[in-house]
Amino acid sequence: MLCVLAGPRNPLLVELLLMQTSVAIAVGIAVTRHRLYEIDRLINRSLVYVPLSVLLAVGYVGITLAMGVVIGRGAPWTVATATLAVALAFRPLRARVQRAVDWRFDRAKFEGLRQVRAFEELVRAGHATPESVGVVLASALGDPTATLSFWLAHDGTSADGSDRPAGIDPSANRAFTEASRRGVRLGMLEHDTRLLDHRDLLDEVLGAASLTIEIARLRVEVKTRLAEVAASRARIVEAGYEERRRLERDLHDGAQQRLVSLGLKLRRAQRSLPPEARILEAPLDDAVNEIGRAIADLRKIAAGVRPARLDEGLAAALRDLARGTPVPVDVDATVERMPAPVEAAAYFVACEALANAVKHSSASHVAITARRDDGCLILSIQDDGVGGAEPRRGSGLAGLADRVDAHGGRFSVASPAGAGTGVEVNLPCA
Amino acid sequence: MRIVIAEDTVLLREGLAGLLEDAGHEVVARVGNADALLTMVAEHQPELALVDVRMPPSYEDEGARAAYLIRQRYPATAVLVLSQHIETPHAIELLRSGGGFGYLLKDRVLDVDDFLDAVRRVAAGGSALDPEVVAARIGVGRSLPVRAGSPGHARAANTSASESSTNQRRSRGRIAGSGERETRGRS
Repeated sequence: MLCVLAGPRNPLLVELLLMQTSVAIAVGIAVTRHRLYEIDRLINRSLVYVPLSVLLAVGYVGITLAMGVVIGRGAPWTVATATLAVALAFRPLRARVQRAVDWRFDRAKFEGLRQVRAFEELVRAGHATPESVGVVLASALGDPTATLSFWLAHDGTSADGSDRPAGIDPSANRAFTEASRRGVRLGMLEHDTRLLDHRDLLDEVLGAASLTIEIARLRVEVKTRLAEVAASRARIVEAGYEERRRLERDLHDGAQQRLVSLGLKLRRAQRSLPPEARILEAPLDDAVNEIGRAIADLRKIAAGVRPARLDEGLAAALRDLARGTPVPVDVDATVERMPAPVEAAAYFVACEALANAVKHSSASHVAITARRDDGCLILSIQDDGVGGAEPRRGSGLAGLADRVDAHGGRFSVASPAGAGTGVEVNLPCA
Repeated sequence: MRIVIAEDTVLLREGLAGLLEDAGHEVVARVGNADALLTMVAEHQPELALVDVRMPPSYEDEGARAAYLIRQRYPATAVLVLSQHIETPHAIELLRSGGGFGYLLKDRVLDVDDFLDAVRRVAAGGSALDPEVVAARIGVGRSLPVRAGSPGHARAANTSASESSTNQRRSRGRIAGSGERETRGRS
């Protein structure tokens, strides 16, 4: 249109006009749409610092005058006192003015920061856990779809398992903004892209919440790592049981079978001896008996590695255990089946406790009870021995505690001197 | 007597077959798993099946389960189960199915005469139960009648069973068992 109007008269002037106008328009767009020069921040700063400066100047002059009236003009420390007062007043005053300006000109930011601060107070007082900072952020930013995931430094992913970089997903109108504190990554806020138009709000709110976010992140990280450690410990213990089972199978199905075959061969040879070779009967008998003893030994070893009767349940295995113990043992065990690792753990605890009762406490009677209560297996081994047992590090009892711990269970020993030893174990069955 | 052997360890299977053949029995089939055992029993209708508890594919208790099926489907075929270790529930369960059943630890075969006795007795409708199994079942210091399922009994041969029940170590006593039903019936 400009072209049409000015075209024939002065093309140079038109071009210049056009150029100037387009620059102005471009700057206008950049300032409003893309926040060139961070214009809103600039305005905000000016709005804060102009009244702030005025207030401070007034304060300074006021103090100087007042002091002048009171103690006489020109005293050197009139100036010093006024300067000190102004310096001291600067920070709180700035915060106050900033809040007033925000309240007057940027209600959203004022409200958002207020929420973050209120939440911080709640956390400090112990009325809220830092982990819920995500919900507070969503509310403070006025974007109910916003979610915060914490960055887990040890495995390089977010707590929700993703490792998205900051950026925009235009197809879903989602944006990802990193929350950080002093250059350290804390988490990723996923939010609506519209929030990017209020960059100042986003930055200020995230900045104000950064300490809380960091605390929350650390807590989440510790919790995650503890859960991982517990899970890996349980896996190791379970792998141990599985290994025992394999070893037991190998002993029974491998070595033992071979020995039986060998003995059988000797027996057949023995039975096919001609009458004149009868002299070989006795040594062959000896050899076969020896093999029989070796088989019996193997069976005992295999049972110690992992009693095959554990396949039939804890009650059967405990009764077998009691049968092999040189002092009378009463077994009162539930026949309910529990997960194999729990049964195995309970069995080995009973083994160790029983061995202790026999070896160290000169017990004359032991009672074992195993019952299921509220999703837990409760096993107790009580003897009537000398008591005074202490679960020292490295002792059998401490080993039991570790084993039970690995299953997320509880372990306790009560052993008053002269009143026997009681071991009680509580193993979750889930 | 016609016998089917189910045992997955070839050495032991051949050893058992040789032993039984030496004693004048006829081993009509030798197999290494429970399915083949059932097929062979159906085909040959033997007087006795000698069955290992653990066999392929899972090495759990497929032998014992096959033994149970045989007792149900082919009452004329007696079953003698061999196990590497004491597994009482199977033994007791199978005992309930009546005579013609035995349950022994594998190494009992080394006491050849006792073992052959047990084979004959079971095939004739009696039973044989390993003293260890009896001991495991009844615990220390108590005694129970060993025989089950076989009507009419009272033979001194069982004393070994109650002896072993008070013994915490493995008994090398004689195999507990009940007398032959037929013999007793006639006498």
